[in-house]
Amino acid sequence: MKILEANKIHKSYGNKFNKQEVLKGIDINVEKGEFVSIMGASGSGKTTLLNVLSSIDKVSGGTIKIEGKEMTAMKERQLAEFRKHHLGFIFQDYNLLDTLTVKENILLPLSISKISKRAANEMFNGVAAELGILDIKDKYPNEISGGQKQRTSAARAFIHEPSIIFADEPTGALDSKSASDLLNKLSEMNQNRKATIVMVTHDTTAASFSGRVIFIKDGQIYTQLNRGEQSRQTFFKDIMKTQGVLGGVPNER
Amino acid sequence: MSVNQLIFRNLKKNLKNYYLYVFALIFSVALYFAFVTLQYDPAMNDTKDTMKGAAAIRAASVLLVAIVSIFLLYANNIFIKRRSKEIGLFQLIGMTKSRIFSILTAENFILYFGSLVIGSFIGFSISRLILMILFKISGVDAIASLHFSSQALIQTVVVFCVIYLLIMLMNYVFIKRQSILSLFRVVSSTEGKVKKMSIFEIIIGIIGVVLIISGYYVSTKLLSGNFTTVTGLFGAMIFILGSVIIGTYLFYKGSVSFIFNLIRKKKDGYLTINQVLSLSSIMFRMKSNALLLTIITTVSALAIGLLSLSYISYYSAEKMAENQVAGDFSFVKPEEAAKFNQVLEANNISFNEKQIDVIQVDANLKEILGNLNGLMVDPKAMTMPVISDKAVKNIDVAEGETIFTGYNDLLQKFMSLKDSGPIGLKGQNETIPLHYLGLKKDSVVSGYFTNGGQPTAIVDETVFELLKKDVNPAIQKESSIFIGITLKDEVNIEKANDLFKEMFGSEDRFNSSRLEISNGQKQIMGLIMFIVGFLGLTFLITSGCILYFKQMGEGEEEKPSYTILRKLGFTQGDLLKGIQAKQIFNFGIPLVVGLLHSYFAVQSGWFLFGTEVWTPMIIVMVIYTGLYSVFGILSVLYYKKVIKEAL
Ligand SMILES: Nc1ncnc2c1ncn2[C@@H]1O[C@H](COP(=O)(O)OP(=O)(O)OP(=O)(O)O)[C@@H](O)[C@H]1O
Ligand SMILES: [Mg+2]
Repeated sequence: MKILEANKIHKSYGNKFNKQEVLKGIDINVEKGEFVSIMGASGSGKTTLLNVLSSIDKVSGGTIKIEGKEMTAMKERQLAEFRKHHLGFIFQDYNLLDTLTVKENILLPLSISKISKRAANEMFNGVAAELGILDIKDKYPNEISGGQKQRTSAARAFIHEPSIIFADEPTGALDSKSASDLLNKLSEMNQNRKATIVMVTHDTTAASFSGRVIFIKDGQIYTQLNRGEQSRQTFFKDIMKTQGVLGGVPNER
Repeated sequence: MSVNQLIFRNLKKNLKNYYLYVFALIFSVALYFAFVTLQYDPAMNDTKDTMKGAAAIRAASVLLVAIVSIFLLYANNIFIKRRSKEIGLFQLIGMTKSRIFSILTAENFILYFGSLVIGSFIGFSISRLILMILFKISGVDAIASLHFSSQALIQTVVVFCVIYLLIMLMNYVFIKRQSILSLFRVVSSTEGKVKKMSIFEIIIGIIGVVLIISGYYVSTKLLSGNFTTVTGLFGAMIFILGSVIIGTYLFYKGSVSFIFNLIRKKKDGYLTINQVLSLSSIMFRMKSNALLLTIITTVSALAIGLLSLSYISYYSAEKMAENQVAGDFSFVKPEEAAKFNQVLEANNISFNEKQIDVIQVDANLKEILGNLNGLMVDPKAMTMPVISDKAVKNIDVAEGETIFTGYNDLLQKFMSLKDSGPIGLKGQNETIPLHYLGLKKDSVVSGYFTNGGQPTAIVDETVFELLKKDVNPAIQKESSIFIGITLKDEVNIEKANDLFKEMFGSEDRFNSSRLEISNGQKQIMGLIMFIVGFLGLTFLITSGCILYFKQMGEGEEEKPSYTILRKLGFTQGDLLKGIQAKQIFNFGIPLVVGLLHSYFAVQSGWFLFGTEVWTPMIIVMVIYTGLYSVFGILSVLYYKKVIKEAL
């Protein structure tokens, strides 16, 4: 079943006189339970694509359907409601609230659901332990490292068990150990709970965790790679090759 | 790019940021100039002389300078902080600090003196309006005309030049301390942490509350005779001020953050969106907020208290005149009353005349006096006026009884009377024991007999005759007959009053006109109320503006948070609800505490100012709250805009 269906999406910034077209007609379909990576050079429009797919930003043209509902036709309130309940985000620049502690930041998405405090606490302990941030739970964002912020941001995306997780460079600030921990966690969520994941990354290793990689160039889909039954190592090499052809700077770990 | 171009560009870019600063400037200048113009207005001369208001006006203008300069310095502080990034950037591209300073100075110069010109113009145009208001409330019959006073202009320019220099000095110090690092400094670190809640904080909070309550307690005792010496009274006042202000600060610093901490701790990380936007955001800035809230609270309390007291005086003017005169006109010499009667008749003004015999008797009130509260009189022999019950309608006392009338709040504070009890009225040779039955409000004889506010004893006709035969001549007044004249038709009161003034001058010791006393009182109180009102309004607007500026800054600072929350799926409405809760705290708490402070201040001494406390105090409080809320609403609207732009 298709959970996400995007048709001919266009996005441009600026005004009439000074227009920059970032996305030029992209079609993307994501099946329920898929783990998709999006790769491309810096400035190629990955963040923009993720933003429009997740309804944070408006498209200039084209349609997006999530679970058969047309997002592009929805009102702002409905969109917000939808995001709150069904989507999880890991942002490139973390997006934590400075005024809240790590724990409070993570529990934020639960505040709208009618979950008991005990249950919320259990959920928090589970996810925080897995991401290794349990002992910093009472610190404020400006007291923790970039990697810890990223893991906090990830924990916030997981806590309410959303049906789609959008992740923008979730491993950008992590060392390889924490990065693969986080990626394993993502895969696990993907396999065990059939959570759909759409992840933007520069990191070939990170991309090799996913089932499919979409390459973007000049605002269009350049090519796609399917992992199929391949092992992670062979898939990794495939991605490297395509990146070489694409001309982006490969980022090896 | 030349420096001039840079200045110009910067100015243009920053004008949007600055518009409130400019507004604050223009407002201050206009207010000050209007006030000073009044001070030099020739029409004010009569007013000033008759009321000895010159000193009051001068003192007020000094106070006004103080408020305005603090306000402008604070506003400047907020706005320069907003530009610290820009200043860092200039430094990064290699500009020297003195160069940056000169750019800022030039930029400020244009803004500042531009506003000065506009402000003076506005101030001049509204000064007439203000003068008209003054004349209206003080009942002066003069025409408010526009006089341009170069003296006022010079004074305004000088004052604001000095403030400008102060501001520049402040900017200089600020730039001096600024480093390029501030460019990279991310959001300021949190000021209040959840975990650092300690016994210490609880103690501070408790001390704060105890200080406030003890201040209140002492204030209720202040004028009830517990402090008899001037130094004692003064010391008590200083104590009240100090303990309430310090207590307020500690209350904000300790109790508020303690309570917040408690709530937050209890939530254990599970905050609702409302709490995220109010609770955590307020705690984040608690340290700087505590001081600001204390200042705003104190200023509000001061303004409300002063406004209430002066309004009480104004409001009570007529009441006081009634106490003094008992009738529309009162006389103590029959021949003068007769003359006045003739004039009234000649003018076809009909009236009632009432004559009452009044004698002065030493009364032994020891048994019915609650406490004398340090009043230096002998309770066994207090001289008071006595009249017969025949002279008053609707009152009939038995032979062994007496009723006091002419109740006065002020006196009541100093010598409170019991509900009933035995008293004795001393004649020359004999003392007549009577049973005191209670106190009535109406005054039946004029202030001449009651020494300004003593109650009058009403006794039975027979007792009165006895006393009259046995009076002590040493304590009798020159006259022992009161003649009260009451017009049948109040419409004629103005005309009659004019006739009265023509004949007897505006007032002497023997004859008085109720309207005249009421007018005189109103004139004095009107001027005082005008000045206090002017200052109170300035207090209100400046403190409201400061809170608003602060909220604007906070809103900008928190914009990224709103972006995040909206990305996560919280709607604008969700956010706005949280913001409203936050603003209710930010504006509401200082207002409520300020109202409470002023309530106790007013309660402690209102009876020195007038006869009626509730109505005028409540009116002032309601108006103040209304005007003050405008700023809270404005700030919510501002937040609404910020939230809307956040995504
Ligand atoms: N709000 C905006 N206004 C104008 N232009 C924008 C805006 N956001 C992005 N752009 C432009 O759109 C293009 C794509 O930006 P985007 O952030 O999507 O790149 P990206 O692929 O995520 O790059 P990176 O890998 O560096 O994160 C860039 O050229 C950028 O300048
Ligand atoms: Mg990006």
